[in-house]
Amino acid sequence: MTTLTLPPLSLAARRSRVLGVVRRDFAALRRSPIRMFEILFWPTVELLLWGFVTVFLQSQKVPFVVAFLIGAVLLWQVLQKASNEISIAFLEDIWSRNLLNVQVSPLSSVEYLVGLVLFSLGKVAFAVAVMAGLAYALYGFGVTSLGVGLVPFMGVLLMLGWSLGLVGIAAVLRFGENAQVIAWSLVFVVQPLAGIFYPVSVLPEPLQAVSWFLPASHVFEGMRTVMAGGAVPWDRLAWAAGLNVAYLAATLGLFAWALSYARRHGKLSRFGD
Amino acid sequence: MAILEAAHLAKRFGPVTAVHDLSLTVGEGEVAGLLGPNGAGKSTTLHMLLGLITPDAGTITMFGMELARHRIEVLSRVNFAASYVDLPGPLLVQEVLDAFARLYAVRRPAARVAEMIELLELGPLRRRRVMDLSSGQRTRVQLAKALVNAPQLLVLDEPTANLDPDAGDRIRGLLSRVARESGSAMLITSHNMREVERMCDRIHFMAEGRVVAAGSAEELAGRYGAEDLEEVFLKVARG
Repeated sequence: MTTLTLPPLSLAARRSRVLGVVRRDFAALRRSPIRMFEILFWPTVELLLWGFVTVFLQSQKVPFVVAFLIGAVLLWQVLQKASNEISIAFLEDIWSRNLLNVQVSPLSSVEYLVGLVLFSLGKVAFAVAVMAGLAYALYGFGVTSLGVGLVPFMGVLLMLGWSLGLVGIAAVLRFGENAQVIAWSLVFVVQPLAGIFYPVSVLPEPLQAVSWFLPASHVFEGMRTVMAGGAVPWDRLAWAAGLNVAYLAATLGLFAWALSYARRHGKLSRFGD
Repeated sequence: MAILEAAHLAKRFGPVTAVHDLSLTVGEGEVAGLLGPNGAGKSTTLHMLLGLITPDAGTITMFGMELARHRIEVLSRVNFAASYVDLPGPLLVQEVLDAFARLYAVRRPAARVAEMIELLELGPLRRRRVMDLSSGQRTRVQLAKALVNAPQLLVLDEPTANLDPDAGDRIRGLLSRVARESGSAMLITSHNMREVERMCDRIHFMAEGRVVAAGSAEELAGRYGAEDLEEVFLKVARG
């Protein structure tokens, strides 16, 4: 056994591998001005669009509308970015024909996913921080108006975003590169059902039933409650967190199955051909 | 002593039998070649040995451990390069090597990366992006990545396929030197018979998913009444 490398199952080796993923993705981001630009471009466009809508509605004396919509845009970005950044980081390995190098390394699936999650967390935090600053500067909206609920609201959305990202990766592993569209668009299936810009009660009854099984719905309803002067609905957040744990466990199982399927059917070997 | 033992491997993709009852061993410090016509099952075999493809039957043991049960321990002592695999294009050469040094849990990544840069003569390319390099330069970076953990088994799938004769010759010289100096075992596939004759101690010929002959280049030429390995190849490929 060589002394050049750390014992492969040691904590230090696991930390090294996870940091390897994070550092690699950070370096790739730093070397790609277009990707840097993209982190902020779409969220800023969305913030400006909804910001001007709220300014108009406010002029029509619609109560609470500024806080509701701007808060919703900010929290929606947490969910969307958490989902897309995980998928993109995985797809980058396919696009650069590097996936085989990663898959033949001693990096375990869990370490790979932890690395992707940590890196995506950094990008989400950066994007949300910039957007929160813009929302305050342009519309006088402070994220602190969400009170102590802000952290659990974001936590629930991050976890749901990671689950959706994992479903996207699993779809690509199972169906091949053509399934990239699923990785991109899955989060937008959630958007109309999660009551982001309107209360869940607006939805037809059958869809309301679906909506209550989405952790995001409880966050956005909770956000509106807090902004209307109510208390943080901890019971709703606990239900959302419970759903999240179940969904994350299920999607981790789905990812493991899809990876095993890809190995059994030789699909990993064909990525990048 | 064998560091790699594959026994009775089999793999089917739908109606196609890619590999059938394949057994092979690679000894410590041995440079082994895996030859055969297109579709013979070479890459499928290599990918099974690297854990990219799960065999339908058979066992793979490396360093006395079964790959299926000790994936992380085994793969930390193996590395891989292939002409059809690339590295992240936007990264600098130095950043790519640093990332892989960490993925292989190298104790002192910066020092090891510096060694690889010197060994592969990548100094002038250290601060260049991978996407801006020529094929020959990229192959050298791939090899630096493949050597970063000082692997006890180096798996190379057509490592010189995209290179001109001069660059290919340099890479062959380098690989021979690495094999001699590091004592790493190598398993190589190639369609370049002179490359295989020059580098490999033992050659496994594959056809239709099976190993149909094995031995040194001289032994195989003698067995098939051929002048060189290319003639052996043609006889094997044409049945």
